[in-house]
Amino acid sequence: MHIADGVLPTAVAAGSYVLTLAGLGLSLRTVDSRDLPKIAVVTSSFFVASLIHVPLGPTSVHLVLPGIVGALLGPASFLSITVGLFLQSLLFQFGGLTALGANALMMGVPALLCGFFFRRFRGNTQTSNAIVGALVSGGGVLLAALFLALLLATGGEAFFGVAKMALLAHVPVMVIEALVGGFVISFLFRVKPELLAPRSRRKRA
Amino acid sequence: MNFPRATVIVLNGAQSLALLSCLLLPLICALVVLFLGKKRRQAGRGEPAPDWSIPAIDAQAAGRSLFHTWAPAVKIAALLATSFLVVSLNSLIWALAALVLCVLAVQLTGMPWTRPLKRLAALAGFLGMLVVILPLTSPVHPGDTIVLLPWLKSWPLNLAGVFLALTIVCKAAAVALLMEPMLATAPLARTLQGLTDLGLPPVLNQMILLCHRYIFVFQQEMHRMQRSMRVRGFAPRTDLATLRTMGNGFGMLFIRSFERTERVYEAMLSRGYQGIFPGETRQKITCPDLVKGALFIIIGLLLLAGDRLLPGIRF
Repeated sequence: MHIADGVLPTAVAAGSYVLTLAGLGLSLRTVDSRDLPKIAVVTSSFFVASLIHVPLGPTSVHLVLPGIVGALLGPASFLSITVGLFLQSLLFQFGGLTALGANALMMGVPALLCGFFFRRFRGNTQTSNAIVGALVSGGGVLLAALFLALLLATGGEAFFGVAKMALLAHVPVMVIEALVGGFVISFLFRVKPELLAPRSRRKRA
Repeated sequence: MNFPRATVIVLNGAQSLALLSCLLLPLICALVVLFLGKKRRQAGRGEPAPDWSIPAIDAQAAGRSLFHTWAPAVKIAALLATSFLVVSLNSLIWALAALVLCVLAVQLTGMPWTRPLKRLAALAGFLGMLVVILPLTSPVHPGDTIVLLPWLKSWPLNLAGVFLALTIVCKAAAVALLMEPMLATAPLARTLQGLTDLGLPPVLNQMILLCHRYIFVFQQEMHRMQRSMRVRGFAPRTDLATLRTMGNGFGMLFIRSFERTERVYEAMLSRGYQGIFPGETRQKITCPDLVKGALFIIIGLLLLAGDRLLPGIRF
């Protein structure tokens, strides 16, 4: 779920903008500049994937994807997610423009953490990759939901109820995303395992 | 139920109906817009209509309004500053005034109202949640007004929460409407050049352009994959098999996108790409541009001053 304009206190919205810009600057410095056009193209596929709805009982949910983006892009995932969120706000109003910084932190930081966790623990077998992929996908949603609740709670006592509800609403999404994420990672491991390897190892192979 | 030092109002049936309909009005409007859209899509089914499910941001870039002639760098800086001033408002009456001004701004661009209304519809879920939950969960302070509905005696509504929720709805809608004059009144490349002039790194500008371009390509690809899945008898349900199939589908989409990136990048290199897209898209900043910018920021500051000094009904 994206935060709309006018929900967060202005200081929080502006502060997270500053943090996001700093994160972007840091990412641009650490990621190889020749990779940037490629990251942009991959970002559009994540964007499209997040528009697909997965059926859940009478309703449907769409994927949030921070875990999978982190697993695939690692340190570049913050960049990818911020570009994607800017376009979502621009095209669909999913997330307000003044809350873009907060939304980018809420999704980008979990993606970075998930990417690190996935690369550290994924192991060498399909089963271990699928399990860690599922953990990371579900955990990414959980972290994003915690960030969301935390950001909402900065609005003061009146928002505590909303923050709790937002956290609860993410539980079904988390379960679905963990399952789908596990399947995605296990598919990638079978079909194109080099996508899951960090860049340095990919070059040596 | 006991609320120390808070006014308790018990509403009768008609009054509570009026209050509820006022609260749910934005939601109902959004549902109507969505319903109309669906009906039109169903009516148009069968003809090979182009797919507009992802809107082109700069479809309305040609025009002669004050927003279209405004240099993007100044326009974005001024309207973004105004947006931040609008989200800082605290009282309902001034947020409502901001909303009216933003409606006027969209009207001044002369563009059709379909896109702005779709933006408002996209807000409905999040804002609907706030409107339903905030009145129920706002803590009661001395002096607050509690409203009891006749058939929901155990769920007291805090009027402060109602006003807070409605203020947020107005602010969110106002800034959402301002997005159209700010970002949709120039071709995307020129808008992004404006952002670059404001300090956005040029590489990010290019990433956004490329990403925007390939969203449409991959959406076509995804539609093709979904079509072929349906042809093979795939019907989405709530079960593990559906999730596995969709997981494989997403995996395939990502693989195709990674494979395409190599080809895209090589094609760019072979056409002489050296880190920038050639082509002058910058618009000179003139005096009227700065005057317009100052005007909008002054309007925003006046709203904020009114909000802080003359809050009107404030809860």
